[in-house]
Amino acid sequence: MIDGLLLLGGGVLAGLFGSLLGLGGGILIVPLLTLGFGLTLIQAVGVSLICVIVTSGAAAGVYLERRVANLRLGMTLELFTAIGALGGGLIAFLIEERVLELLFAALLAWVAYTMFPRANPASARVLAPDADPEVPDAGASLSTGGTGTFIDGLSGPGYQIRRLRLGAAGSVGAGVASALLGIGGGLIKVPVMHVVMGVPLRVATATSNLMIGITASASAIIYLLRGEIDPYVAAPTAIGVFLGASVGSRVAHRIDLRILRGLFVAILLYTAWQMLQRAIA
Amino acid sequence: MTASTPGGLYGSATGAGSLPSSSPEPGSPGLERTIARLLTGGTYVSIALLTIGLGLLLAAGVGPLSGGPAFDPASLVGDILALRPAGFIWLGVLVVVATPAARVAASLIGFARAGERPMVVIAGLILVVIVVSVALATGLEG
Repeated sequence: MIDGLLLLGGGVLAGLFGSLLGLGGGILIVPLLTLGFGLTLIQAVGVSLICVIVTSGAAAGVYLERRVANLRLGMTLELFTAIGALGGGLIAFLIEERVLELLFAALLAWVAYTMFPRANPASARVLAPDADPEVPDAGASLSTGGTGTFIDGLSGPGYQIRRLRLGAAGSVGAGVASALLGIGGGLIKVPVMHVVMGVPLRVATATSNLMIGITASASAIIYLLRGEIDPYVAAPTAIGVFLGASVGSRVAHRIDLRILRGLFVAILLYTAWQMLQRAIA
Repeated sequence: MTASTPGGLYGSATGAGSLPSSSPEPGSPGLERTIARLLTGGTYVSIALLTIGLGLLLAAGVGPLSGGPAFDPASLVGDILALRPAGFIWLGVLVVVATPAARVAASLIGFARAGERPMVVIAGLILVVIVVSVALATGLEG
């Protein structure tokens, strides 16, 4: 009974932060299950993938209703996250964990640096995308008729999508990371959309939430059919994530953007430290 | 900063891809609403199933860390009819995994009705990736 309540409570916290920050909660669930409850990393990743899908479903529905999430952009990028997740799910059982932990510790630290709340030029451009019209649109050749209409269809009022190819490449990486570490991939998708593609942070966070479901599903299927998901652990954790995500999605729009970014950076740095400790232990 | 409202989100019976994105389109938000309800509904159904399963688990005095049974599609219906916790939990997990794919399928239909061929192709390709994932995982298991 106690274990069930602890799993439930841990899921609530993970779901709350995941929903607020577009992280999917997996970055918190995996350490919770491995360090707190003694699961193997693979078992924790399997459960975490189920949880991040629940997070996505609970939060993305609200974001879509409020028209914060960009459906077309999300679907375009999630094609690439799904491809990455499929590949990651297939190689997850072949790669030494220590190497991955080191790589991702470095990656998380880099992402934290790019998102650090300060008056940096990249953020300024994103907040005022029209002020930087000379940025080349690397994705223009992907447009339906060579006139940029496809890119325009992915953009929104106040911001113009750019560097779609880089965004697609980053999405593949997010999918691989999702499959290997049991995260939703928001750690990569949000900065890619925000910093690289010029999507406002709040839209990027909401769109990332939408994308997490299909990203995690592509690899969760592999974990499920390989018998790496423990149903008795998954149930209380996922229920907790759902409760936390439901609350988070309803209060996210009331939270100051600077606080959101600060929390984002803090969680990135904490997770990077945890990854590093695991790798060198 | 207030929440942005991306114009690229809005559906259009004439095809949103041909309309300028700098201003919101006047089309119906029906697709987003349908998808939102699908996601919400799938999540609620799965959580209900997981909650029933967890309740049965705790009522039976089984600890969540005792190790659950492996997924077996053949015993799913029997477990549910016998009110075994694993049956409800596994069905809930299946609904969780299937809901995003159902969302993509619904999007495909919506975009097809709106004549947005690029988005139809993208949605179709996503479903292909999911099918390949199932096929490869089934092959690995075998």
